[in-house]
Amino acid sequence: MSDLTAIGLELAVMVTALAVLLLDLWTPPEQKRQLGYVAAIAVGVIFVASFAVLIPEPRMAFGGMYRLDELSLYFKRFFLLTALVVLLMSIEIADRIEAGFPEYCALHLFALTGMMLAASAYHFAMVFVALELIAVTFYILTSYQRRRLASLEAGVKYLVLSAVASAFLVYGIALVFGASGTLDFARLADRSNTGSHRMLELGLLLVFLGLTFKLASVPFQFWAPDVYQGAPTPTVAFLALGSKAAGVALLIRVFHEAAPAIGRGWHGLFAGVSAATMLYGVLCAIPQRNLKRLLGYSSIANGGLVFMGLSTFSAPGLSAVLYFLAAYLFTLGAAFFVLCLVAPTAEDADIPALTGLHRRSPLLAAALALSMVSLAGIPPLAGFFGKFLLIKAALENGPSWPAMYALASVALLTAVISISYYFGVIRAIYWPGETEREVVRDPEPIVLSGLTRAVLWFCIVGMLWLGIAPDKMLILAEHAVRALAL
Amino acid sequence: MHAASTHLAWLVLLPPLGAAAGITLLALNRPAVSARLSIGAILAAFGVSLVLFTQGVEGRTAWTWLSIDDGRGTFVAELGLRLDHLSCLMLLVVTGVGSVIHIYSLGYMRGDRSVGRYFAGLSLFSFSMLGIVLADNFLMLFICWELVGVSSYLLIGFWFERPAAADASKKAFLTNRLGDFGFLLGIILLWAAFGTLDFAELEQRIGAGTTPWLPSLVGLLIFCGAVGKSAQFPLHVWLPDAMEGPTPVSALIHAATMVAAGVYMLCRVFFVFAAPGSAAPDVIAWVGGGTALLAALIAVQQNDIKRILAYSTLSQLGYMVLAVGLAGMAAGAHPVPAMYHLTTHACFKALLFLGAGSVICALRHEQDIWRMGGLARRMPITFWTFLAATLALCGIPPFSGFFSKDAILALAWERQPVLLGLAVAVAFLTSFYMFRLVWVAFLGPAKSQAPDHARESPAVMTLPLLVLTVPSVVAGFWGIDSYLIEHFRPGEGLSAPGWLGQLTAPFHHAPVAAFSGLIAALLGIVFAWRLYSHRVQDPLPGLLDAAARPLRDKFYFDEFYGRLIAWTQDTLARGADAVDRWVIGGALVKGASGSIELCGRLLRLVQTGSLQTYAFLFVLGAVVAIVLMLGW
Repeated sequence: MSDLTAIGLELAVMVTALAVLLLDLWTPPEQKRQLGYVAAIAVGVIFVASFAVLIPEPRMAFGGMYRLDELSLYFKRFFLLTALVVLLMSIEIADRIEAGFPEYCALHLFALTGMMLAASAYHFAMVFVALELIAVTFYILTSYQRRRLASLEAGVKYLVLSAVASAFLVYGIALVFGASGTLDFARLADRSNTGSHRMLELGLLLVFLGLTFKLASVPFQFWAPDVYQGAPTPTVAFLALGSKAAGVALLIRVFHEAAPAIGRGWHGLFAGVSAATMLYGVLCAIPQRNLKRLLGYSSIANGGLVFMGLSTFSAPGLSAVLYFLAAYLFTLGAAFFVLCLVAPTAEDADIPALTGLHRRSPLLAAALALSMVSLAGIPPLAGFFGKFLLIKAALENGPSWPAMYALASVALLTAVISISYYFGVIRAIYWPGETEREVVRDPEPIVLSGLTRAVLWFCIVGMLWLGIAPDKMLILAEHAVRALAL
Repeated sequence: MHAASTHLAWLVLLPPLGAAAGITLLALNRPAVSARLSIGAILAAFGVSLVLFTQGVEGRTAWTWLSIDDGRGTFVAELGLRLDHLSCLMLLVVTGVGSVIHIYSLGYMRGDRSVGRYFAGLSLFSFSMLGIVLADNFLMLFICWELVGVSSYLLIGFWFERPAAADASKKAFLTNRLGDFGFLLGIILLWAAFGTLDFAELEQRIGAGTTPWLPSLVGLLIFCGAVGKSAQFPLHVWLPDAMEGPTPVSALIHAATMVAAGVYMLCRVFFVFAAPGSAAPDVIAWVGGGTALLAALIAVQQNDIKRILAYSTLSQLGYMVLAVGLAGMAAGAHPVPAMYHLTTHACFKALLFLGAGSVICALRHEQDIWRMGGLARRMPITFWTFLAATLALCGIPPFSGFFSKDAILALAWERQPVLLGLAVAVAFLTSFYMFRLVWVAFLGPAKSQAPDHARESPAVMTLPLLVLTVPSVVAGFWGIDSYLIEHFRPGEGLSAPGWLGQLTAPFHHAPVAAFSGLIAALLGIVFAWRLYSHRVQDPLPGLLDAAARPLRDKFYFDEFYGRLIAWTQDTLARGADAVDRWVIGGALVKGASGSIELCGRLLRLVQTGSLQTYAFLFVLGAVVAIVLMLGW
C-alpha cells in the first residue's frame, strides 16, 4: 500500500495518459483537440497537488528501488510544469499533426512518467527502465510528422544514436554489477567507499557516457541540432527541457549518492566535459541561420554550463544547477512557444523569416526577444541569475582546485560570444536588413488566443521573477539539495 | 513615522514604470490608452507623494536584489529608497510639475503619429527621475542616472526623422556619457576606499576622517556627473540643442527636473563636499558662476524662443551649482539655497516653456521671436502667465524667484564678494534678455503675418499654465527653506514670520545682496524697455558692433569642440590606426574572430548529418574518455 502512495504522482500521470487514449475512442475527429486540454488540465492539477506532498524525511519504496525525497520532488515538479507548457504548445499545432493528436499527447505523458521515475530512481534497474521509457516514447515523438522527411530523419537519428548510448549505459550497469554485486545505490555507496575497483570505475564511466547523451554534451552531442531541427517543436521543447533534466537528475544521483568517492575524484572529467561542451555549442552556433538549430547548439552549450555546476560537487553548485534549470524552463518555454506559432515547419524557423515579427504580433516578438536576452544572460532576467550562480559556485571552488578558475573563464568567454548570436535573433525581429525589409511591407498580423497569451505572459513573468526576486526559488533549490548527503 | 508607511515610497516609483512597460508592450498604437496610462501613473505618484509629504514620513525601505559575500566583505546590490525632507520635497516637484506637463502634452502632441511612444518615454523618464530622487545608495542612483539619460535621448530624438533632432539626441547622450565617466570613476573610488555605496554609511565613514586628498578627488569626480547632467561649462553644449525635442519634454526634462538632478545629487551627497579640506567646493562655485555668466551673455543674442529659455536654464543651473559650491566652502554649512532655487525654478521655468509651447503651437511652429509680436492681446492667458514666470525668474519681489535667488546672493555675500558681483551681473542680464523676449514677442508690433492668425490655446494647455502660475508667484511664502533646513540641521528650521515679515526678511538679513540683486534686475528691465519696446529688428548688434557676434554664435563652443574633436580624433585615429592595423587588427582581432569563425566552420564539418559519422564519433569520444580517465 505504502509503495503505491509513494508513486502517487506517477500513477496519476499514467492514469491520465491511459484516459486520454481511451477517451480518444469516443471522441469525434473534429474534437480531438479538446483532449489536449484534458491532458493539460490534468497535468496542471497534478502539479498543484505535488505541493501537497509532504515528506519530513526521505521515503523508500519497492525494496529500496525508489526514493521520494525533496530532490526528486523538485525534479518531478519541474517535469510536470515542463509537460504542461509542452502540452499547451502541442494544442497550438494540433492541426498539423495528422497521425492522431491524442496519442501525441499521451506519448508525452508516458515520457513524463519516465522522467518522474528517473528523478526517484535509486537502483540501476530502475534507472534503465525509466530512461528507456523516456527514450522509446521519444523515438516515436521525434518522427511523429511521418510525411515530413525532416521529421523522419530526426526520428531515425535519434533512434540509432540513443540506442548506441543505451548500449553504453547498460554495459556500464552490467560492469558495475559484476564488480560490486549490487545495483542498489545505497549498498553500492557502502562498497565503493571501502575501496575502488578498476572494473567498477569502467562501469561507472560507461554509465556517465550514456548519460551525457541525455544532456547532449561532449562526446555525445552530435545528435541535438539535427533532431531539434526535424522533430515537432513541442517534442523538441520536451527533449531540451525534460529529457535533459532527467539526465541531470540521474547524474546527481549516481555520482553524489551511489558512488560519491569516485564521483568526487572525477571532478576533472566533469570539468573537462563542461568546457568542451560549452565551447562546442557556442562555436557551432555562430554560423547558424536556423533558429531551431541555433537553439539546438544553445542547448548543448547550456548542458556544458550544467556540467560546470555538477563538477563543483558542492551544495551551492548543485542548487545553482537546479536554479538554472528552472530559469531555463521559462526561457526556453517562451522561445519554443513562439516558434510553434510563427514557424510551422523547420524551414520557417530561419532567422530572416522572423523579420517584422514585432509588427505582426508585439507580444510574440517581446516574448522571443526576452527569452533570447535571458539565454544571453543579461540582468535582470532569469538566465542571468542562473549563469551568475553557476559561475559563482565554480569560483568558490577555485581555492581548493585552481582549474575551476579556468573553467569559470571559459564560461564567461562563451557567455560573451553567445551574446552575438542571441542578439542576432533580436536584430532580425526588430531591425531587419534592407533586403528582408522588402519582404514585410504588409505584415499579416498573428492572432493569439487568450490561452496562448496567458502562457506567454506566464513565461515572461517567470523569467522576470526569477531574475528580479531570486530568493524564493533559490530557497526551494537549496532545500532540494539538502536531501543529498554532501 | 510608521515603519510600514515608508513602503508607500514604492507606490511613487512603480506606477510610472508600469505605465512605461504597459504602453511599450501593449498600447504603442493606441494614443488614448497610452495617454491615460501615463497620466494616471504620474497622478497616482503625485497623490502618494502628497500623502508622504503631509504625513511627514521619514525612513528607508530597501529591497535586496543580491548580496555577495566575497570573503572580504559583503557587496549588497539593493534598491533602497530613502524618505526625508530632501526627497519628499523633490518628489513633490517632480510629480507635481510632471503631472501638469503630462496633461499639457495631451494638447500639444494631439495628432502626432506616435503619441504612444511619446508617453512611454515620458513615463520611463518619470520612473527613472523618481528613482534618482529616492535612491539611498550610489548604485541605484547611477542606474537611474543612466536611465534618465536614455529617456532623454529617446525624447530629444522623438522626431528622429529630422536630422537636427537625431543629431541633438546623440550629442546629448554622448556629452552626458563624458561626464558620467568621471562620475562612475568617483563611485568606484568611493567603493574602493570605504567599502560601501550607501549614503548614510558613507556619511559616517567620511565624517570619521580620511586622507585629505580623497574627498577632494572623489568630490571632483562626482561633480563631473553633475557637470554633464546639469549642463555646466564645459559640457553645457548639449542643452540648447536638446530643444529639438517636443516642447513639453523641454519643459519637464530639460528645464524643471532632469537637468536639476545634477544639483539634487550634489545636495544629496553634500557630505562629500563638506569634508574639511576639500578643494572641490571652490571649483564647483567657480564653474557654476562661470556657467551662469556665460549662458546669460549668450542668451542676450539668441532669437529662437526656446533657445533663449534654454540658455536661461543653463544660467540658472549655474546659480544653483554656485550655491552648492559656496555652501561647501565653510565648515558646517548646508546647501539649502541651491535646493530652494531648484524648487522655485522648476515651477517658473516649466511655466515659461509651456508658455513658449503655447505660442509655438498657436503660430504653427514658428520659433523666431523676430517673427512674432503683439501676442499679448491675442493670447492673454499665455501672456499673463508667461509674464508672471518672467518676473519670478528675474527675481522681482514678491514672486518666488526673488526669495530663492536672494538666498544665493546672501550666501555669496558671506563667502566670496567676487562671486556676488558675478551673480549680480547675471541677475541684470537675466532680466534684460527675458524682457527683451517679452517685449519683442508679446508686446511690440507684429513683425510678420504669422501672429495675425494666432489664437489662444485650448483649455488642456492653458489650465496647466494657470496651475503652474500659483507656485511661481507665491512659493516664496511657503517656507520651503525652513522645511529644508530641518533636513540638514534638525530643530533649526526658522520660524515663519508671517507674510510681511517674509517679504522684508531678505532686506534685513543681507541688505547689500538683496538691494543689489533687485536694482540689477530693475535696471535690466529698464534697458530692455528702452531698447526693444518698439523695434522690429534687433538694435543690439549695431550698438555693440563686433562684440555681438560671439554672443550670437555662442562663443564658438560648438565650432571649437568640433575642431577639437576632429583634431584629437585625427591624431588619435592615426596612432590608433597604426596600432590597429598591425597589432590589433592583424594579430588579435583577425586572429580571434577569425579563429572563432574558423573553429565554428571546422566544427560544422564534423556535423555532417551522416548517421555513421556521428556514431563513429560517439565511440571515438567514449574511447578517448576511457583512455584519459582510466589510463588504458
